[in-house]
Amino acid sequence: MRLQAASLVIVLSAVAAAQTPPLNKQPPGFDDFTQRVQQYMKLRKPLPNERTTKRQDQIVDRRLSIADAIREARPAAKQGDIFTPECTPEFLKVIRGTLQGSKAVNVRKTIRQGEPVMGVHLTVNGAYPEHLPRTTVPPTLLLHLPRLPDKLAYRIVDHDFVLQDTEARLVVDFIPGALP
Amino acid sequence: MRKMRRLAFLLLLVIPSTAPAWAQELTLPLKSGSVRFAVIGDMGTGEPPQYQVAQRMLEFHQKFPFNFAIMLGDNIYGGKTPADLEKKFEIPYKPLLDAGVQFYASLGNHDDTNERFNKFFNMNGQSYYSFKKGNVHFFALDSDYLDPKQLDWLEKELANAGTDWKICFFHHPLYSSGAFHGSSTELRTVLEPLFLKYGVQVVFAGHEHVYERLKPQKGIYYFTEGASGELRYGNLRKTDLTAVGYDKDRSFLSIEISGDDLSFQAISRTGVTVDSGSFRRPGAAPPSP
Repeated sequence: MRLQAASLVIVLSAVAAAQTPPLNKQPPGFDDFTQRVQQYMKLRKPLPNERTTKRQDQIVDRRLSIADAIREARPAAKQGDIFTPECTPEFLKVIRGTLQGSKAVNVRKTIRQGEPVMGVHLTVNGAYPEHLPRTTVPPTLLLHLPRLPDKLAYRIVDHDFVLQDTEARLVVDFIPGALP
Repeated sequence: MRKMRRLAFLLLLVIPSTAPAWAQELTLPLKSGSVRFAVIGDMGTGEPPQYQVAQRMLEFHQKFPFNFAIMLGDNIYGGKTPADLEKKFEIPYKPLLDAGVQFYASLGNHDDTNERFNKFFNMNGQSYYSFKKGNVHFFALDSDYLDPKQLDWLEKELANAGTDWKICFFHHPLYSSGAFHGSSTELRTVLEPLFLKYGVQVVFAGHEHVYERLKPQKGIYYFTEGASGELRYGNLRKTDLTAVGYDKDRSFLSIEISGDDLSFQAISRTGVTVDSGSFRRPGAAPPSP
């Protein structure tokens, strides 16, 4: 599996300059974030896609292999690389505006009803713990955030706002304490 | 100690399988050419009650041969190892799988989004998807992540679905009398306008660990079936929403659609019919005399 990951890293580097189509309909103020997401997707592009199978062991192996390859492709990744200090205030403005605005009661209820995940220590490039549920991300919030490519999703973990690679189940980046 | 635990487990499996003779009386019409399916939600515990409900489903399948089942999320609680998948899905439903029953899953908050790659769940690698059986369009949604992309997709799919039955299923109930979670009001604000605009007639959800059939809301029939493995005993509140509710044991639901008529029968873990009935597709012409 490690060998497979290493060979993927070589391919990753070779195609880092490849172009991915721009994401449309992005709200203003998130250009830097969108660019960094696209860079991440370029790194990820040569990785094999998950395939459908009845073999759960193959799904798990492939997921671990993809996660290993991503970690090796960005070994120095740290919190703030994608949610940079420049774009974080924009995210906080949207998150806190949604959680304190006119629809805040329903939005908070959505998070509560999703059985919020608490007490988890996140690390960039770390695995999103397998046994933990997903906290529902309020659609009102998603409406005002930059759209993400397939394979990436926003997550809420405790008070942190997370960018997750869904196939690799990897924490790509997060904003600590983003949710009041 | 281990032997004792195994014995207790086996007893739990065996005792409820001695369902009384009057149990599981078929109320569904069994019309020729009808679309027949089962509905289960919040089942993936791997514990004896899930196995017992699966056993009732198998028995019912002999009287009412349904071709497929829809899953309303929380398909696999806790760990997602190959052993977990076996214990929480493949073993309990093996006899149904062997009988050719297909399972179509939607994702709940306890599910890993990578379940979409498991062929047993027929999601074809997508966390939201649609499929058609006879004159019925099904739309499986990921209600944990209703982003604009998914809502755009749903709108297009519904717009192209014509005048057939349109059934949506997902994890979080838009209307519920459950005391633990209640109605998902924010999700309702984004989904209900689409359901009304494009004429969705029936919605199935789980998440609340009870069975509830709601009075039609704005002309749409809502069912909650979140007790096919888990249960929150006595968790239903008395509200104006409920047509029939059951929170005393686990359950599953069976549906038959023939032309413009939908019939339903909810069955408990012990084989008792806890709800049944039928209704005509809203907007359909009255039946010919």
